[in-house]
Amino acid sequence: MSNLAVQIKDLNKNYGSTQALNGLDLEIPEGSFFGLLGPNGAGKTTTINILTGLVNKSGGYAKIFGHDTVSDYRNARKLIGLAPQELSFDFFFNIRDMLALQGGYYGMSFKTGRERADELLNQFGLSEKSENNARQLSGGMKRRLQIAKSLMHDPPMIILDEPTAGVDIELRHMLWKFLKDQNKNGKTILLTTHYIEEAENLCDTVAIIDHGKIIEQGSPRTLIKKSGSSKLEIKVKNWKDNIINDNRDFSFINETLHIPAEKPEKEMIWWIEKLKENNISIEDIHISKSSLEDVFLKLTGRSLND
Amino acid sequence: MINRPFMTLIQREVWRFLGLYKQTLIPSVISSGLYIIVFGESLGSRIGSIKGIEYIHYIIPGLVLMNAINNAYQNSSSSIMQAKFLKFIDDLLITPLNGLELSIGYMIGGIIRGVMSGILVISLAWLLADVMIVNIPLTILNLILISWAFSALGVIVGIYGQTWDHIAVFTNFIFMPLTFLGGVFYSIDMLPEFWRNISLVNPLYWMINGMRYSMLGVHDSPPFLSIIISGMFVIVFSSIATLMFTKGYKIKE
Repeated sequence: MSNLAVQIKDLNKNYGSTQALNGLDLEIPEGSFFGLLGPNGAGKTTTINILTGLVNKSGGYAKIFGHDTVSDYRNARKLIGLAPQELSFDFFFNIRDMLALQGGYYGMSFKTGRERADELLNQFGLSEKSENNARQLSGGMKRRLQIAKSLMHDPPMIILDEPTAGVDIELRHMLWKFLKDQNKNGKTILLTTHYIEEAENLCDTVAIIDHGKIIEQGSPRTLIKKSGSSKLEIKVKNWKDNIINDNRDFSFINETLHIPAEKPEKEMIWWIEKLKENNISIEDIHISKSSLEDVFLKLTGRSLND
Repeated sequence: MINRPFMTLIQREVWRFLGLYKQTLIPSVISSGLYIIVFGESLGSRIGSIKGIEYIHYIIPGLVLMNAINNAYQNSSSSIMQAKFLKFIDDLLITPLNGLELSIGYMIGGIIRGVMSGILVISLAWLLADVMIVNIPLTILNLILISWAFSALGVIVGIYGQTWDHIAVFTNFIFMPLTFLGGVFYSIDMLPEFWRNISLVNPLYWMINGMRYSMLGVHDSPPFLSIIISGMFVIVFSSIATLMFTKGYKIKE
């Protein structure tokens, strides 16, 4: 096995005249918790679907743990579990047998599949519903079942396309904890999300995709540092010009000092002292920390929810 | 190809139709029983015999074939259509199963249902009309080939179809007329020459002819041609179905 869980090179996908992926390059190290962020139509789901075999690529290549997704698809597919955004279940069977059959498609005997299904249903708090059909489950339960299904064959990598879309906060936190544990236990996780908080909390690496290309990649902290813009805002009275002689970057608009700062807390101390020295009264202080959302906005000119 | 994932797909397909036996197997047995009673018992006594075979026995191979065709086709087409509508076809497409395994897996589900419904109708005919099969291995071979051909066609229509109407179109406007005009209830020797010649281009005529020969030992045309024609349909439809799954036609973007 290679040290890369995913290796994508010059990946292209055209839907008629629309280019969904435009020479996408991406590497995801084994064991990482990787976030793929992008607005609607950026190419996230197309990328995932090419990795899992649901979409035929137009050019380039994609490998899963060194196995080409086209020429060595059997081995590549065994190593991925997919929890797609859209819920999909085989409604003809109760959820226990549905999971056991899903395991069977990956080579598990039905008996082993049922044992594994029991284990996962227990883990996701669905044991009591094991004889029910997926139709009889609530939305949150279905979402949990979807993730359980992706884990049936215990793949080393799981791909989650918007796993917490439309779920309540309690379930979201439960899923976050579960995914963190899975990652700690060695699973590589590729996650797409619209929730910036989710990416910041969970992912060790984030790639921003727009117009079918990766435009930035790094740890959330690095990206924020590189492209973000934290700032300090101090509302003052009796402002006097020319009291700041240092080469400090700031602007004064509407009785408020706007100060860009990498570490606003540290900068604040200096400014408070300086204003005090010059008898300028402070009415309000506000620290605005940059987030991945700002990075995203700056890089793409669009909000993540666009 | 005979691996666990492939066998699981077959298991799933068989469980699906067995679980829905009231919708899948029973109705065809009931309608066949009605045909035997109405056509065989009431009309049969007036018609007498055809080619030395009692009329009630003469129609049974056609009824067996009608049920096998319908069940085999419905199984694969509706199973794929449902999987598409409910999106769980994606759960199969992401597995290590390839296009050949997926198409053959669905086909085998249809073949098993087609053969089972054929055997149920034969059993019913034995109970109601005391019919005896002349050549059991050849009957089974015919049942398998016919079920296979129409199960493969079901895979094609299941993949291609966008609505349930597309499936019904084949049943109502193609199979039903071709079966009835293929000599289920009569021998084409009873037709005027023009209509007899028209019947010869109806593939279902040949299938009924083969089934009648294997079950009753009588035929209108050479029975080996029936096997060849069924075999040709098996090859053509299976190849198209496999190609569609392999290329992801209408199921992959």
